[in-house]
Amino acid sequence: MAKEMIAMLLAGGQGSRLYALTQKLAKPAVPFGGKYRIIDFPLSNCVNSGIDTVGILTQYQPLVLNEYIGNGQPWDLDRLHGGVHVLPPYQQASGSDWYKGTANAIYQNISFIERYNPQYVIILSGDQICKQDYSDFLRFHKEKGAEFSVAVMEVPWDEASRFGLMVADENDKITEFQEKPKNPKSNLASMGIYIFNWDVLKKYLIEDEADPNSENDFGNNIIPNLLRDERQMYAYHFSGYWKDVGTISSLWEANMEVLDPEHSGINLFDENWKIYSRNSGMTGHRISNEAVVENCMITDGCRISGNVKHSILFAGVTVEPGAVVEDAVVMGGTTIKAGASVKHCIVAENVVIGENAVVGAMPTDGEKGVATIGSGVYIGDGAKIGPNAMVNSNVKGGEEQW
Amino acid sequence: MVNSNADALGIIFPNTYDSLIPELVSERLMASIPFAGRYRMVDFVLSSMVNSGIGNVSLIVRKNYHSLMDHLGSGREWDLTRKNGGLNIVPPFAQKNIKMYTGRVEALASILEFLKAQKEKYVVMSDANIAVNFDFKAFMDAHIASGADVTVAYSKEELPASAMKKNDIGTNMYYSFVIEDRRVVKLDICSKESGVQNFSMNIYIMDRELLIEQISTAYLHGHSYFERDILAPQLDTLNVQAYQYDGYLARICDLKSYFDENMKLLDEKNLDGLFARDSIYTKIRDDNPTRYIGGAKVKNTMSADGCIIEGEVENCVLFRGVRIAKGAKVKNCVLMQDTVVEEGANLEYIITDKNVTFTAGKELKGSDSFPVYVAKHQTV
Repeated sequence: MAKEMIAMLLAGGQGSRLYALTQKLAKPAVPFGGKYRIIDFPLSNCVNSGIDTVGILTQYQPLVLNEYIGNGQPWDLDRLHGGVHVLPPYQQASGSDWYKGTANAIYQNISFIERYNPQYVIILSGDQICKQDYSDFLRFHKEKGAEFSVAVMEVPWDEASRFGLMVADENDKITEFQEKPKNPKSNLASMGIYIFNWDVLKKYLIEDEADPNSENDFGNNIIPNLLRDERQMYAYHFSGYWKDVGTISSLWEANMEVLDPEHSGINLFDENWKIYSRNSGMTGHRISNEAVVENCMITDGCRISGNVKHSILFAGVTVEPGAVVEDAVVMGGTTIKAGASVKHCIVAENVVIGENAVVGAMPTDGEKGVATIGSGVYIGDGAKIGPNAMVNSNVKGGEEQW
Repeated sequence: MVNSNADALGIIFPNTYDSLIPELVSERLMASIPFAGRYRMVDFVLSSMVNSGIGNVSLIVRKNYHSLMDHLGSGREWDLTRKNGGLNIVPPFAQKNIKMYTGRVEALASILEFLKAQKEKYVVMSDANIAVNFDFKAFMDAHIASGADVTVAYSKEELPASAMKKNDIGTNMYYSFVIEDRRVVKLDICSKESGVQNFSMNIYIMDRELLIEQISTAYLHGHSYFERDILAPQLDTLNVQAYQYDGYLARICDLKSYFDENMKLLDEKNLDGLFARDSIYTKIRDDNPTRYIGGAKVKNTMSADGCIIEGEVENCVLFRGVRIAKGAKVKNCVLMQDTVVEEGANLEYIITDKNVTFTAGKELKGSDSFPVYVAKHQTV
């Protein structure tokens, strides 16, 4: 049975700029927003848009991600025909190859796509926080008679040179592509989300693979080649919330924006566009008598006895009496002991922060750093972690790290 | 899981004691009463069975079971979507001349053929009116080690005053034991004894073949009740062993105890007593985390996901998706799924059922001894 459109999700990114958070897991598996992981967003978008077949291309540290995806049931992607499939590079008769680039990753899975005989393939990225209706994108693609469409966001002109830009005419037809140009001719940034007609994509993937000088990358090779051949290429304008969470500060910022949906536009309380995730299975959270909770998000399994302000706590976080948590992202299973101060920082999973320890600090004039504690780290009693620190191994009691 | 494949099948009676709590079962049954923020009563015994390696569980329902079927679905959340065994909901079989059952004997008689076809050596049986994280594996081991015909779990508790006061003879029977050297020598029905008694939890284990034999005989004689008609008269011939459970349990006897048992979970010791041993599974609703906004003041409260809290909350159990608006005050309340408390409303000692709305400025107060119940979908 043919599928109209299937999705291929690029989830191989190492996320090296998230360093302490991606030592043991791929970037798309990084926890986000209290009970989600980044990959929940594209997966839920797929399901909510009616796409029931998703290939996830993994490469770097795939264990956590594989286990998390499992059979795809939490996203309703455990389907008889289709569903979710994790696609790591594999051994073939003629040897095995790592995915050399984004285009090569798709190239190596041509036979997977062919099984579903789709008319269209949507290429998604596993490191963005965005709620997007891909069926509307496909409608646009069909209306324009496009062979290739790319979702674009308008960005401020002074930031445009940080992005891959699409120059388009008044009919949204793309006339030029500029990769991080000094002199931008457009402020339409590519979101890295593409819809291709499958026959066109397949042809260009095969050609690209045959070119020994190619980097096998969508942005650097496939899109320029399409332009060269004057293919039907269109830019689809997206105006909702979109954030690339590739850096510690952008990941922290996006989490803080979840706390303020009225202004930021990222509303997780949307009955009509639910974000699905694998559930912690813990019991409800408890706010004790001496606790103060102010403007925060708290989920199952948390035990709060301290002071929590403008923060996101993931499942099973314990905040002991007298501890102060502010502007912080605290991931699952972490314990913050009595009297500790945890501010303006990201604390990964299963961390213990000792009594009266200090992690991070509220920004001052010259100092806006987001302290980061990697998963499983033990911060001793009275230790002090400065606002620019990235901590990846245990810190003894009383020690300081900056 | 090391305890996989326990050689026992499970049977749950989801309707037992329904009429003790008429308010909450008008559109559901005991097993699907919401409890502890995000669970239903059946989740506890069902999860306990699964965690003890029992992968073949039947629920013999009697009436009002749509909510239970909706909750359980295919049984996936309890890992009971299996090729062998799994979850089996047995509704009353309308065509047969078996009428709506009253007691366990009739209920079991209606699935006698099913019981005969199973392979497991033992059968464990339980009601759904007790929330407990029960170790069926240890229970089973004790049964096997003692060589008993039947083993029954009990706890040392005072008999509930509300049950004693009830004068509708013959329904909602509760049982207590006189025990000598672990053997049940006397089975009291609806005892009025005060003080701590050996109070039956109605959790049984026995040999499947023996159960089939006993049920067949009792049914032919027109008997209804397992305890009254099978166990009590045969205590000298059947070796009925008593198994003391001394862990945490929450027994629902009436609306008041429903309220109290929810409230008791605000004490961390009790919460751990119920949840720390093994996971309790439930249906997933994919709510987002709970948000505390602006001037929210929250004290001594347990809350599930999906709530938005802007007002004052003290000593409350909040189920999934509860909204408490700015300026609202909620104290000593159990608010079920999707209850909405609008601006400035003031509540004390209230139990709401699902989807209740309190409009702005409304004031409603019950008392410690008499919490006020507001039925499903009501707007106050």
